[in-house]
Amino acid sequence: MLLLGIETATRRVGVVLASDEGVLGRVELGGLADAGAPRHAERLVPAIQYACAQLDLGLDRVSAIAVGVGPGMFTGLRVGVTTAKALAQALRVPMIPVPSLDLLAYPLRYARSLVVPAIDARRNEVYYALYRTVPGGVQRASDYEIGTPDDLVAELEARGEEALLCGDGALRFASTFRRVEHVELAGPAHAAPSLPALVELAAARYQREEFCAADDVLPLYLRKSDAELAWDRKDG
Amino acid sequence: MKIATESAEETRALAARLGALLGPGDLVLLVGDLGAGKTAFTQGLARGLGVTDPVTSPTFTIVQEYAGRLPLAHVDVYRLDRVQDLHDLGFDELVDDGRVTVVEWGDRVAQVVPTDHLVVRIELGDAENVRVLEVSCHGPRWRARHEALERALGDGAG
Repeated sequence: MLLLGIETATRRVGVVLASDEGVLGRVELGGLADAGAPRHAERLVPAIQYACAQLDLGLDRVSAIAVGVGPGMFTGLRVGVTTAKALAQALRVPMIPVPSLDLLAYPLRYARSLVVPAIDARRNEVYYALYRTVPGGVQRASDYEIGTPDDLVAELEARGEEALLCGDGALRFASTFRRVEHVELAGPAHAAPSLPALVELAAARYQREEFCAADDVLPLYLRKSDAELAWDRKDG
Repeated sequence: MKIATESAEETRALAARLGALLGPGDLVLLVGDLGAGKTAFTQGLARGLGVTDPVTSPTFTIVQEYAGRLPLAHVDVYRLDRVQDLHDLGFDELVDDGRVTVVEWGDRVAQVVPTDHLVVRIELGDAENVRVLEVSCHGPRWRARHEALERALGDGAG
């Protein structure tokens, strides 16, 4: 098995190549400290090319493509998911879509508390979900949600359990979350969805042949609105 | 504040002074009928941001991005129908990620964009080529910059 993984749900562009033995190599560009407009479209394909070249692996050897499908940054997901789908179609290989919040929660599976990844959704909102740790992994205990930091605080206070928050959304609104009792924040190492987690979760599904056709892979978009835009020129 | 200009070039010069003042994340909504000079205004604003590529109307591309002192996103929402169309453009990220964003037909989206924004309303004046520009600050961030804005735009304008 040669797995190509792509993760672009945050400001970070992530590319990983893995065999049955695990991660062969990964490229990560951008992120919280990289100010200015993110450049997923410019960076993703060169990152894939670099990883392949340095590992001396051709794309024709890839047997499946795993991709983080959010919820997360809209422009990043559009670039990452579209690139992954195009490659899967061209190479005629199956895809393994993985929610990006799962990829933030999985590396914290040894925590003895709720694990709560939060991805910055802009407009003073975060995407989040609550996870319980179970032997060998994490189990999601809520829907994938979008809400203000205060919505998440209310949810955490209602649960009243110890919780470990991670993700760039947790860091962006750290001052809000730090006010909640029983809540701890994971640091910048846990700001972006984990590429080794993408490999582990996707490899398990590869072994079970839980594949998706490229046509069926869509980003998780949680921000929905049916409202119409107004045409109310007062001086028409 | 209201300022009158007597030619498209004067409108551009005024907009360039605004462009020089703008910072990352600033959002400017342009309001005015067809032919009022929204694109001329954006061209001037782009000049003030150090954009050297020619700025054209984004009516058909909807979003056009330019490189300058800060990246500029020029958006035209004339052809959008729903708030969802704005989400589908990634509008929230355009504004949030350190660019300057200018929206033509901005009154259409004023209710759904971030509170902090500047509205520039362009109306036809009494004589040919005369335009009256009304600039208003919305949200705490812009209200705090009101004086700096008046100084920049009042300087040399009619």
